[in-house]
Amino acid sequence: MIIKHQEKIASPEIIQSRYEALGYICSNSVATAIYLACHLQKPILIEGPPGVGKTELAKITAAYLNAPLIRMQCYEGLDESKALYEWKYGKQLLYTQVLKEQLGDVLRGAKGLDESITRLHEFGDIFYSQEFLEPRPLLQALQSEDGAVLLIDEIDKADQEFEAFLLELLSDYQVSIPEIGTVKAVSTPIVMLTSNNTRELGDALKRRCLHLYIPFPDAALESRILATQVEGLDAQLREQIVAIIGKLRDMPLKKSPAVSETIDWARALLLLNVAELDSHWVKETLNLLLKFQDDIELVEPEIAALLKSLR
Amino acid sequence: MRFVADFIGALREAGLPVSPAESLDALKAIQLLGLDSRETCKNVLALTLVKRQDDQEIYEELFDLYFTGVEKAKEADQGDSEPSEDLLAAQKDAGNGDDSAANASSALGQALIQKEDMSLAIAQAAVAEKLSTIVLFTQKNHFAYKIMQRLGDEALSAEIHGVTNSPEPKNSPDPKQKKLQRELIKSRARLLDQVKDYVEQQHQIFAQHKGQKYREDFLQQAKLSQLDRLDYKLMQTLVRRAARKLAAQHSRRRLTRKRGQLDVRKTIAANAAFDGALFHTRWKATRVERPKVVAICDVSGSVSRVARFLLLFLYSLQDVMPKVRSFVFASDMVEVTELFKQQEIELALEEIMKRWGGLSTDYAKALSGFQSQALASIDKKTTVIMLGDARNNQGDGRVDIWEQVFRKSKRVLWLNPEQRNSWDSGDSIMSEYLPWCSSAEPCRNLKDIERIFSRILKYS
Repeated sequence: MIIKHQEKIASPEIIQSRYEALGYICSNSVATAIYLACHLQKPILIEGPPGVGKTELAKITAAYLNAPLIRMQCYEGLDESKALYEWKYGKQLLYTQVLKEQLGDVLRGAKGLDESITRLHEFGDIFYSQEFLEPRPLLQALQSEDGAVLLIDEIDKADQEFEAFLLELLSDYQVSIPEIGTVKAVSTPIVMLTSNNTRELGDALKRRCLHLYIPFPDAALESRILATQVEGLDAQLREQIVAIIGKLRDMPLKKSPAVSETIDWARALLLLNVAELDSHWVKETLNLLLKFQDDIELVEPEIAALLKSLR
Repeated sequence: MRFVADFIGALREAGLPVSPAESLDALKAIQLLGLDSRETCKNVLALTLVKRQDDQEIYEELFDLYFTGVEKAKEADQGDSEPSEDLLAAQKDAGNGDDSAANASSALGQALIQKEDMSLAIAQAAVAEKLSTIVLFTQKNHFAYKIMQRLGDEALSAEIHGVTNSPEPKNSPDPKQKKLQRELIKSRARLLDQVKDYVEQQHQIFAQHKGQKYREDFLQQAKLSQLDRLDYKLMQTLVRRAARKLAAQHSRRRLTRKRGQLDVRKTIAANAAFDGALFHTRWKATRVERPKVVAICDVSGSVSRVARFLLLFLYSLQDVMPKVRSFVFASDMVEVTELFKQQEIELALEEIMKRWGGLSTDYAKALSGFQSQALASIDKKTTVIMLGDARNNQGDGRVDIWEQVFRKSKRVLWLNPEQRNSWDSGDSIMSEYLPWCSSAEPCRNLKDIERIFSRILKYS
């Protein structure tokens, strides 16, 4: 991708501080990954528990580089025709109908079947040309003039066949369309793949990507994230929230609260005008943090002890 | 750059699959960002080289070990190129009044007397001696000796001895010579310590995981019945890894079939080129294959020594694959699917062995129990796996039930922990069941289990 402002990606530190200004607090390893992706032109495979900001990272990168974000959500059964391209069948049908009459003109004067066929061949595969091609996200990303940020979301949800299909795109930034040939990227896009690890991805895919693992943030980082994301939150309350979340993540829960849940919770508490955490409010708002009834039942009796340990 | 290449070698030894392409990426990335900041360097290498989360821990451990060494060597390097004031002063000293240094004839001796930093020399000698091939801790002294030799220890030793034994009658108790000798002996001891430390550190980097790999290879081949209790822990991780590998390879198999509902949209699209005449049909039905497995495990006295491992595998399989029903029996058939789900592996195994393990076998009773509990749920998609030795204490085997199981299921596998030539010996009635098994195989080590299960999943 042609990055118009090279100074924007001059060093990981610059990326880190600029992202922070945009409201995305990232660790050094995240910034380094973005830096390397821009300079080495390699895709990044982002893994981590749900809700740590994997998709957000792609959005913010697109915004930062002033590039369009092209997003492709993966799911079981996703195939080429939905991911890469499809022929505009309706248009093809319509054109064949309209052009039927023209056929007579074209073939006028031709002697015998052979000559007619030869004449037809001269027109080439008009129905399988760029005009009849409906680009889907992957092709769009390859065709964008100034490059784009391509987000392939939740790649682990797609089938293995699709994963294999992506390999050509990821290593050479090109795809093969049988009727047309190889389509090369006009300008190399920045590709980000996210995965929640519901299934182990193939080695071939991993080999082609930089591998970035985003864990739950540590207390300091999370506190900074809260400070930027939730304005007007009292500093003391913020520390309490971060401490409680940290404690919850140590418990054997089905789903640990992620950053996005922390932010939701903080916003809710702010909205409710809670000045200090007490067991009543925690109990009332627990369903914002925990998404399984089992987890809620596990945590509820512990609330008092949790709050006590904060002081 | 050599440091990075060596480090990649160490990672490979530790079992991380680093490909040449990834190494190149790492080198390019390092060229971009440099080796100056340790944190950045660590991030860069992790991004380009470590692609599995399980490997993260090994990576961090190795990185810290390795680059502590590198930093030391670097410092030494700098020290060499621009000698510090201390060193200069020392040299001056040596040159002036006390001419003991001048007397040390061997190169190593001189270097030691002048208190040069030997780290870099040691590292170079280690490379020349191929220290990175070290495998066993017993090789440590050997390598230390070889490195010392390469540093020029022979000459130094000769010199030390020479001073002691020098038959110079005129000034035999030369105080200067004596002092030099003492000095040399002390420095040599220090150097030896330094070399040994270095070898130790390199051994940790290169061999620690190698040793473990040897052990794992051995365990995979070892007979299940001969394994030590101590190996359980490692075996558990191995089994788990095998089960996960199998499930990852096979759990989602999707087949497009030429039957089911017609996909109108796709069919029209596929035939647009033929002016709407429908040459090719497209079908909606894609079928996600999820093999259904019913596994039965004998835990009676005769198989008690291998039962734990069979259970271990069963547990792991159920953990990673949907739709596995697990049964155990000695005389009564008990379903343990729920138990496996609820309990941790250790506890579950312990409980099963305590409650049902080690009793005498009664296939007749067990199979009739199976008939009432599970036969109804077996259909043409089900694979039935029996892990047992068919030793039935002379009783009737109720082969008729096994026949029913065979007829209703897709396939019946019998895995026997005994080797083939001891089937049918003594009270084993394996041959009675054999006609009603799609395949029956001896299963004597972890490799066998892995191979057999991989086949089940592949053709399901």
